[in-house]
Amino acid sequence: MFRFIIRRLVITVPLVLVVISLTWGLIRLAPGNFYSSEKALPPAIEKNIREKYGLDKPWYVQYGRMIGNVLRGDFGLSLRYQGQSVNQILAQTLPVSATLGLLAYGLALVVGVAAGTLAAVKQNSRLDYISMALAMLGISVPNFVLGPILVLIFSLNLYWLPPSRWGGFPSWNLVLPVLTLSAVYMAYIARLTRAGMLEVLRSDYIRTARAKGLSERAVIFRHAMRGGLLPVVSFTGPALAFLISGTVVVERIFALPGLGNYFINASLNRDEPLIIGIVAFTSILIMLLNLAVDIAYGLIDPRIRY
Amino acid sequence: MSGLIFGGRRMRGRAIGSTILALTLAIASCSVQSGEAEYFGKTAPPEGQVLRYVSGAEPESLDPQMSTGQPEARLYMALYEGLVEYHPVTLEPIPAIAERWEVSADSTEFTFYLRRNARWSNGEPITAQDFVYTFRRGLSPELASRAAYLAYYIKYAQAYNEGGVFVRDPRTGEFLLKRDVPPSGDESAPSAEGATVIEGGAPDTPFHRFIRSPSRLVLPGTEQERARLFAANPKLKSFVAGKEFVPVRAEDIGVEAVDDYTLRITLDQPAPFFVKLLAHQLFRVVPRKAIERYGEAWTKPGNIITSGPFILQSHRPYSEIVMVRNPYYWDAANVKLDKLIFYPIEDMTTMMNLYKAGYIDATYNHTVPTGWVDFVRRLKDYMDAPEASISYVMINTTRPPMNDIRVRRAFSLAIDRQALAKYLRVVKPLTAFSPEGIFPNYPQPKGEDFNPELARKLLAAAGYRDAAGNYDPSKFPVSEVEYVYNTSDRNKEVAEFLQAQWKQNLGLTIPIRNMEWKTFLDYRAKLNYKGFARGAWVSDYMDPNTFLSLFYTRGGDNGTGWWDPKYMRLLDQANRTLDPQRRYELLAKAEKYLLDACPIIPLATYATNWLKKPYVKGMYPNPMTLHPWKFVYIEHDPAKWDRGMPQMAEVVR
Repeated sequence: MFRFIIRRLVITVPLVLVVISLTWGLIRLAPGNFYSSEKALPPAIEKNIREKYGLDKPWYVQYGRMIGNVLRGDFGLSLRYQGQSVNQILAQTLPVSATLGLLAYGLALVVGVAAGTLAAVKQNSRLDYISMALAMLGISVPNFVLGPILVLIFSLNLYWLPPSRWGGFPSWNLVLPVLTLSAVYMAYIARLTRAGMLEVLRSDYIRTARAKGLSERAVIFRHAMRGGLLPVVSFTGPALAFLISGTVVVERIFALPGLGNYFINASLNRDEPLIIGIVAFTSILIMLLNLAVDIAYGLIDPRIRY
Repeated sequence: MSGLIFGGRRMRGRAIGSTILALTLAIASCSVQSGEAEYFGKTAPPEGQVLRYVSGAEPESLDPQMSTGQPEARLYMALYEGLVEYHPVTLEPIPAIAERWEVSADSTEFTFYLRRNARWSNGEPITAQDFVYTFRRGLSPELASRAAYLAYYIKYAQAYNEGGVFVRDPRTGEFLLKRDVPPSGDESAPSAEGATVIEGGAPDTPFHRFIRSPSRLVLPGTEQERARLFAANPKLKSFVAGKEFVPVRAEDIGVEAVDDYTLRITLDQPAPFFVKLLAHQLFRVVPRKAIERYGEAWTKPGNIITSGPFILQSHRPYSEIVMVRNPYYWDAANVKLDKLIFYPIEDMTTMMNLYKAGYIDATYNHTVPTGWVDFVRRLKDYMDAPEASISYVMINTTRPPMNDIRVRRAFSLAIDRQALAKYLRVVKPLTAFSPEGIFPNYPQPKGEDFNPELARKLLAAAGYRDAAGNYDPSKFPVSEVEYVYNTSDRNKEVAEFLQAQWKQNLGLTIPIRNMEWKTFLDYRAKLNYKGFARGAWVSDYMDPNTFLSLFYTRGGDNGTGWWDPKYMRLLDQANRTLDPQRRYELLAKAEKYLLDACPIIPLATYATNWLKKPYVKGMYPNPMTLHPWKFVYIEHDPAKWDRGMPQMAEVVR
């Protein structure tokens, strides 16, 4: 187990380097510059800027410097936002995206697992149909539709909740974005749980548990859930990485100062250090969470051993 | 200010936005219209004197010399003040840190007298030396400011910013002069040479004698560029042979602190509009002390020292920027707001939601989404006035068939601008290149309007005709022409409108193509486009010259490949004219010349299109949507609210 973890962690390093090298190359291929705008710059001013940011150096020097920065864990200064380092930006925005993502996922997990389990236990009942119909709806309605509808109802007509903006944690401002963000995950988790549970509930060891005379409660919670939730666990890794690293659409609709907003604007602004920083951070996060999922697998399912 | 109308930052993420918009609209239209509201949403004013304003994109920097954008300009206007400030209604320059100024008769020398009670937010006095520092910093190659070109009117400013060199004769120690250079033939050098030294109020100094002396010759700073120049002009090479090159220093530019409270600026060429330019962010005074102590981190709360009516309390990127009043500001007694909060939000629907629910008090320009305009414009908090910004079509005049002026005219004549204005709702039709109704007393020339008949005749005359001599669309090389624009819903609407007009009136289906913003800029600047490209321009200062000077150079923002020395001379002639009205007439003549050459197709003057709660006073729909914040306040007495657009004629103080 220990060796497995070490091996996975070691592989992470070259993988991240490959990812950022590709990203770096793609930024180079995109036309335009971080300083280009509607107003054309006199060549001399452009030259001043290129010298100031070292863009006049040959590509391998720039590439080497970028890799060096990444290896040191210091992504340098943003080109767009004067005087702000990429690390600073990550440190400032990550808590926002993480709060949002964790709350949304937590909510999705609680509601989704509960609904999925109930639906599986009472399969083909009215409850099952209703919750699965709702889940289908949750998956089909994208968050850029759901968000505005919630805003329209709760902020613009009822005036109950703020329509957008960050208000810290905890605050009423979080209610609508968290609901918006969690809906699709809630639905997905409900369906995964139901499918997983249905399969497990028919298996031999559940029959054994029942035959031992265990209460239905104990059968479900102690035995069935362990196996039934495995699909949910493997879904959690990438989903959580995605949620924590910023959700562009929701952050935009609700004007939240998260990572997603920065990421999209960094790409549009050709802000190379910021793009590299966010890509590196996100890829590391995804790899670590996948690792965590694999470890969790081992802990939950006795059949899996590393 | 490269405020980008329907381009760039302001319109980003519109793909997301539009979908959101469409959906919200569908639902909102039924619920919103049910009540007979006077205003859009809640009208309960905030407690006390606090203004919550949406400022657009997240600012690139709080250093006023670094960013050229309009979202930033609005923040800078609260934090920093310059020699002059914009008038809240007309945007003409009004006294700020300079209480008065004198202009030499030939408009090349400006003397500013600073008020004695102007202070930094740390209580120290603001002096002429601070302005000298500010101007030199703004132009320094190390700072690499994108706005530096605005200061190029100042003598030797361009040379310093470009890293140029003077040429000195090592034997005599004398500098070579520009006027002694043997001419190469194709240049026409407008300059203030021979202008009489005026007897101003401020005393003569050694620096003054230096800066008023005939211009020194300036050459590029690098060996390489000089070699290129010499290759083109061998006479110049022999002229400077054996001489030494001396870099132009910050101390050489035409800005001088005559004493602590007198600042003298000397220009390279007459620029009657120069004072209008000085309210621009590049010229707002910055604190040497903080900059030298903290480097790039000087704009952080705690480090920052400001010169304007407000100081920075906190800045949370992508969330909010909070400012409170600066107790040391010279006019603090007349600053009404205690707190000013800026929200950097770009999504229009999001701001409309915040506005309606009463979480913000006003928005910036072009923020009411098209679909909402018809509903919102009937309300009393909708701000609709002409802007100093235009929309036009650029033509690549270097490629056939667009190198034929008849073809260019035909495409212009085939557009019904009235219909376009009606379709877009928030623009006014335009046939000239300067915005309409913005510059009082400017005798704006009229270009050609809608005339499809004539358009077809012109195309026939240009050779696209059948045997009988009638216009034949099938002869026109449609594959050689396209219309490119940067991706945004609004730009797409315009593109489709133009396509329909040309189809209907000329029988030609011109392909339209959208591109990502920066890709588009690159493509357009390099004249890679064939046929047409979207163009828009926002004024840098309140003068027609800010539009007309686009075609003064071949490169830069010209973007059409059209350049005519005669046009350049017309502009020079106008800008050397001292009588303002006569100057306007000459500018109008230049504009007419431009319109006749038809390198562009004017489409529309933009309208402001923003919202302001009735209790926000002292804020006007002016031509650039720039608000000097010290005039703005919250009126808690509903009897004094603005019911409709504020009286623009209202006298401020």
